[in-house]
Amino acid sequence: MEPIYQYAWLIPVLPLAGAMIVGLGLVSFNKDTNRLRQANSILIVSLLGAAMTFSFALFWSQLQGHEPYTRLFEWASAGDFHLSMGYVVDPLASLMLVIVTTVAFLVMIYTDGYMAHDPGYVRFYAYLSLFSSSMLGLVISPNLVQVYIFWELVGMCSYLLIGFWFNRKAAADACQKAFVTNRVGDFGLLLGILGLYWATRSFDFEVVATRLQDLVASGAIPGALAALFAILVFLGPVAKSAQFPLHVWLPDAMEGPTPISALIHAATMVAAGVFLIARMFPMFEAIPSAMTVISWTGAFTAFLGASIAITQNDIKKGLAYSTMSQLGYMVMAMGVGAYSAGLFHLMTHAFFKAMLFLGSGSVIHGMESAVGHDAAYAQDMRMMGGLRKYMPLTAFTFLVGTLAISGIPPFAGFWSKDEILGATFAANPVLWIIGYLTAGITAFYMFRMYFMTFEGKFRGNDTAVKQTIRNEQLQSMGLAFGPGAMDPRELTIEPTHEEESAYGEDHSSHDPHESPLSMTLPLLILAVPSTLIGLVGTPFHNYFEAFIHAPGETVQLAAEAGQETLSEFYVMAGSSVGISLIGISIAILMYLQQKIDPSAIAAKIPFFYRLSKNKWYIDEIYDELFVKGSRRLARQVLEVDSKVVDGVVNLAGLATLLTGEGLKYLENGRAQFYALIIFVAVLGLVIFSGVT
Amino acid sequence: MLTADFPWLTTIILFPIAASFLIPLIPDKEGKTVRWYALVVGLLDFALIVYAFYTQYDFANPDLQLVESYAWVPQLDLNWSVGADGLSMPLIILTGFITTLAILAAWPVTLKPKLFYFLMLVMFGGQIAVFAVQDMLLFFLSWELELVPIYFLLSIWGGKKRLYAATKFILYTAGGSLFILVAALAMAFYGGEVTFDFRSLAAKDYPLIFQLWIYTAFLIAYAVKLPIIPLHTWLPDAHGEATAPVHMLLAGILLKMGGYALIRMNAEMLPAAHATVAPALVVLGVVNIIYAALTSFAQRNLKRKIAYSSISHMGFVLIGIASFTDLGLSGAVLQMVSHGLIGASLFFLVGATYDRTHTLMLDEMGGVGKQMPKIFSMFTACSLASLAMPGMSGFVAELMVFVGFATSDAYSLTFRVIIVCLAAIGVVLTPIYLLSMLREIFYGPENKELTSHEVLVDAEPREVFIIASLLIPIIGIGFYPKLLTQIYDAKTIQLTARLRGQVPTLALQQNQKPVAMQPFSESVQAPEIR
Repeated sequence: MEPIYQYAWLIPVLPLAGAMIVGLGLVSFNKDTNRLRQANSILIVSLLGAAMTFSFALFWSQLQGHEPYTRLFEWASAGDFHLSMGYVVDPLASLMLVIVTTVAFLVMIYTDGYMAHDPGYVRFYAYLSLFSSSMLGLVISPNLVQVYIFWELVGMCSYLLIGFWFNRKAAADACQKAFVTNRVGDFGLLLGILGLYWATRSFDFEVVATRLQDLVASGAIPGALAALFAILVFLGPVAKSAQFPLHVWLPDAMEGPTPISALIHAATMVAAGVFLIARMFPMFEAIPSAMTVISWTGAFTAFLGASIAITQNDIKKGLAYSTMSQLGYMVMAMGVGAYSAGLFHLMTHAFFKAMLFLGSGSVIHGMESAVGHDAAYAQDMRMMGGLRKYMPLTAFTFLVGTLAISGIPPFAGFWSKDEILGATFAANPVLWIIGYLTAGITAFYMFRMYFMTFEGKFRGNDTAVKQTIRNEQLQSMGLAFGPGAMDPRELTIEPTHEEESAYGEDHSSHDPHESPLSMTLPLLILAVPSTLIGLVGTPFHNYFEAFIHAPGETVQLAAEAGQETLSEFYVMAGSSVGISLIGISIAILMYLQQKIDPSAIAAKIPFFYRLSKNKWYIDEIYDELFVKGSRRLARQVLEVDSKVVDGVVNLAGLATLLTGEGLKYLENGRAQFYALIIFVAVLGLVIFSGVT
Repeated sequence: MLTADFPWLTTIILFPIAASFLIPLIPDKEGKTVRWYALVVGLLDFALIVYAFYTQYDFANPDLQLVESYAWVPQLDLNWSVGADGLSMPLIILTGFITTLAILAAWPVTLKPKLFYFLMLVMFGGQIAVFAVQDMLLFFLSWELELVPIYFLLSIWGGKKRLYAATKFILYTAGGSLFILVAALAMAFYGGEVTFDFRSLAAKDYPLIFQLWIYTAFLIAYAVKLPIIPLHTWLPDAHGEATAPVHMLLAGILLKMGGYALIRMNAEMLPAAHATVAPALVVLGVVNIIYAALTSFAQRNLKRKIAYSSISHMGFVLIGIASFTDLGLSGAVLQMVSHGLIGASLFFLVGATYDRTHTLMLDEMGGVGKQMPKIFSMFTACSLASLAMPGMSGFVAELMVFVGFATSDAYSLTFRVIIVCLAAIGVVLTPIYLLSMLREIFYGPENKELTSHEVLVDAEPREVFIIASLLIPIIGIGFYPKLLTQIYDAKTIQLTARLRGQVPTLALQQNQKPVAMQPFSESVQAPEIR
C-alpha cells in the first residue's frame, strides 16, 4: 500500500496541472483555447476524476486501519530556522479528500450544462480546477503555515470566482467584500500562528498542542495568553466558515455562478474553518475558555442564519443563510467537544447542501428561459411556483435535500444534526435550546423555500410581482446600502445586466424547462448520499466515529455503552423530529395551503420582520463603521500627507533654493543644466575634501 | 580564458556605459535600431552577470567575492574597488534583470530615442556600481552618478508636472547624499589611518556617540531613498510623472539602494549604533506600512496609488533589518528582491493601462476588463502578488519578517506584540486598496465615457512577455523560497551573528528589569520538525 501514499501529492497536483495547462492556453492562444471548449473541460474533469479515484484508494486504505502517513521536505530556512512543507494522510485528511473530490467532480460535470452558453466557459473550468487543487492542498497540510498558505489560496480562488461575471457591479463588490472580510479573519489567524510559534517554536499541530499545554501547566505562559492565541487562530475559521461577526461576505458571494456556490460556498471551502478547528482540536480542547467562545459563536451564528433565512426571497440567498446556520451547528459541535459529530455533519451537509445549491442552479437555469437572464427575476422565489410540473427531477432531489436538512429520519441530516444536539445537551442545555429552536426554524424555512419554488402555480408571468421586485431593487440601490458598498459613487442607479436582459426578453413567453442531463445527473447522484450516508453514523453502530475521532480519544460506541444512552437517543431524536415537524406543518399551512397569511404575521411583528429582512442591519452597521470609517481615515491621512508633510518640504524648497532667479531658470527648461551644476559642485567638494 | 582573474564586476559595470557612448554613432533617426542595440547590450550584460555569479561565486561563502581593487587616484586614496557578497549579489542580478526588461518596456518611446537609450545604459552601469563598489568615495560617486540619468529621464519623458517632480527628486536625493559624504569623510578620517575601504571602515572601532552621529547622517540619506516617512514626498511626485520604464527602475531598483545601503553601512559598519537605533527603525517601518497603505487607499491617481503601496512594502524591509534574527534579515533582503519584481510589474502594467485609457484617474475608468482581458488578468496576478498572496514571493518575504520579528529576543514582549499587531493591520489594508483599485479599473459595467473615445486594445505579446518574465521568478520564489534565500543566506547569517554580538548590552539593560517572559525554555525544546 505504500506507493499510493508516496504519490499522494499527486492529488492536489493533478488539478493544478489541469488549471495551468488550460490557463497557459488561455493566456497564449486565447481564441483557440476558447474554441476547444469541451476539450478543456474533459481534460480538467478527467484529471480531477483521477484525483478522486486516488482519494478513494487512500480513504479505503485508511479505513483498513493503515497508519497515518506524513512526508515533509524543507521549504524555507534561515539560520537555525527551518520550515517544512509536505502532506499528511490520516483519517481526517482522507475523509476530506473524498468529500472534496467527489463534490468537485460532480460540480464540474454539472458546470458543463450550467455554463454551456457562457463565453467564460473555459476560464471557469480553469478556476474550478485551481480551486480544487488549493482545497485539496489545504486538507493534507501537515502544519499551520501550509494551512495558512492554502487557506489564502482558496480565498483567492473564491475571490476570482465570485467576481467571475466581473461586468456585474454586484459581483464586483461581492468579491472584494469576500476577500477583505476573509483577510480580517486571516489577520487573526496569522497573529495566532505567530503567537503559537513564539510560544512553542513549532508550526506542527500536535507539537503546538502538547507544548502549549506543558507551558500553561508549568506556568511559563499565562493561561489567558494561550486562550488569546487560540481565539486569534479561531478568527480564521470565523471568517472562512462565515460565523458571526464575519459572516457578511457569504450571502453576497452568491453573486458568483451557482456551481461555485455549491462547491465553494456550501460544501468545501466554507467547511475549511471547521476542518481547521478539527485539526487544532487538541489545542482548543485544552483551553476551556476558547471552547466556550467557539461554541457560543457557533450557536449564535446558527440562530442568526436561520432567523434571516426565513424572510429571504432570493433562492440562493436563502440557501446561503442556511449554510451559515448549518456551519454554526458544526462550529458549535466543535466547541462542545463533539469532534466527530461536527465532522459528521460537515460530511452530510457537504452532500445535501451541494445538492440543494445545484438544484437551485437548475431552477434558475429553467427560470431564465421564462423570465429572462436577469438574476433579480430568475432567482426570486416570488416569481417561481409550481415548478415541480416543469422540472420533476430537480423538484425530487430538492425535496430530498430539504428533508435531509430538516432532520427527518432516515435522511442524512437527521443523524448528524441529532448527534450534535445530543452532545450539546450534555454539555450545556442553553446552547441546546438555541440549537433545538434553530432546527425547527430550519425545517420551516426550507419547506417554505420548497413550497414557494415547486408547489402552487407558476407566477413567472405575473407583472405585479415583477413590478414589486423591480421597485425593491431600485430602492435598495437608491439607498446605496448595497452590501459591500465600498464606493460612494454607487448612488447612480444603473440598469444592471442590460445586455443579458436584452436577449432574455425574447425568451419571456417560454415555460420553465427541466435542465439537461449533465445537470440532473449530478443531482441524482448526490441524492444517494444525502439519503443514505447518515446511516454510517447511527447511534446503534457509529462507524463514522470509529473511523474519525479526536486524537487521543478512545471511542465508546453508544451501543456498547448500554441501553441508557440509547433510550436517551430516542428521547432526543423524538423531540428534534417533533420540532422539525412543527416547522414543516407551519410551512404547509402558510405556503402550501395558504391557510395562514405570512404577511399578516409580518405586519403584527414589524420589528422582528424588518430585523430579519434586513439581516439584522449588520451590513449597514459595518458600512457605517468600517467601510466609511476607513475611507474617512484614509482621506484624512492623505490630506495630512499632501498638505502638512509635503507642504513643509515645498515651503523649505521655495524659501531656499527655488526663489527668484532659480525658479525662473528651472521653468525655462534648463533644469538639466541646473542638475549638472549640483553634480559638478558635489564632485568638486569630494575632490576638495579628499585633497585636504 | 575567462578565469577568476578576469575583472568580472568591472566589466559588468563598464560594458553598458562604454556601449552607451557608441549610441551617437549609430545612424538611426527613428530609434528602431537603437532600441535593439540597447536591448542586446542589456541582455549581454545580464547574461554576463548570471554567468559570472554562476561560475565564480561560491554561494556558501559569506565573504566578499569577485574582489578587484586598483588604485585609481592614489593621492586621494581613491581605489577602484568592487566585490560582491550575499547582500549585493541578489540585487545586482535584480538590477540586470529589471533594467533589461525596462529597455524592452521602453519599446514605444519615440521622443529623442538616442538620448533615452543612452541614459538607460548609463543607468544600467551606474546602478550596478552602487551595489558592487566597496569603497566609500566610489560608492558616493556612483550614488550621484546614477542620479543624473534618472533626473533627465524624469524631466524629459515624464508627465505634465515632470520638471517639478524631477527637481524635487534631485534636491531630495542630492540633499540626502551630502549627509553620506559628510559621514563618509568623518569615518574615513577617524582614528589615524585614512581609508575609504568598506572592510577597513567596518573594522575600525568607533565610540558609540560617534557611531550614532554617523548613523543618523546615513539614515537621513537612505531614508530619502528607501523611502522612510516623512522623507518620502518626492516619491509620489516622481512616480506620478515618470513613464513606465523609468518607473520600473525607480520602484524596482532605486528604492532598494536605500535598503541595501542601510544594511551595508548602518548595520554592518555601525553595529553598536544599530543596536541602539533599531527600535526606532521598527517603529518607522510600522508607520511606513500603515500610513502609506492608508494614503494609497485614498489616492485617486493610479500611479500615485502604486507609489504609496511601494512605500508601504518597504516598511517590512525596515522591520526585517532591525529584527536581529536570521529570518528577519533574510526576509528583508527577500522583500527587496520581491518588491523589485512586483513593483516593476505593477508599474509596467499601470503604464500599459495608461497607454490605452490616457487617464490615470480612477474615476474616469471602469469596466475595461471586458475589452482588455489579458491586461486585466496580468494586473490581477500582480496585485495578488503585491498583497502577499501565498505562492508568490511577497508572501514569503513578509512571513519571514513577521516570524523573524515575532521571535526576536532583542525586544521586549510588549513591544513585539504591539508591532506585530500593527504590522498585521497592513495585511488587512493592502488588499483593500489593491482590490478596490482593480474593481474601479476593470470591474463593473463599462464606462461609456471612456470607451467612446478611447480604443482599448488588449496586451500585445511584448507586454505579455515582460509580465511573464517578472511573474515566473515571483511565483518560483513563492513556491520554493530556498531557490533565492540559499544563494545569499550565508551572508545574512554571518551579519546577524555580528549584529547580535552587540545585543547583549541591550539584553543586559533589559535584564535589570523583572525578567522578561521566556516562555520557551530549553527543557521543553523538542527536536525541530523537518
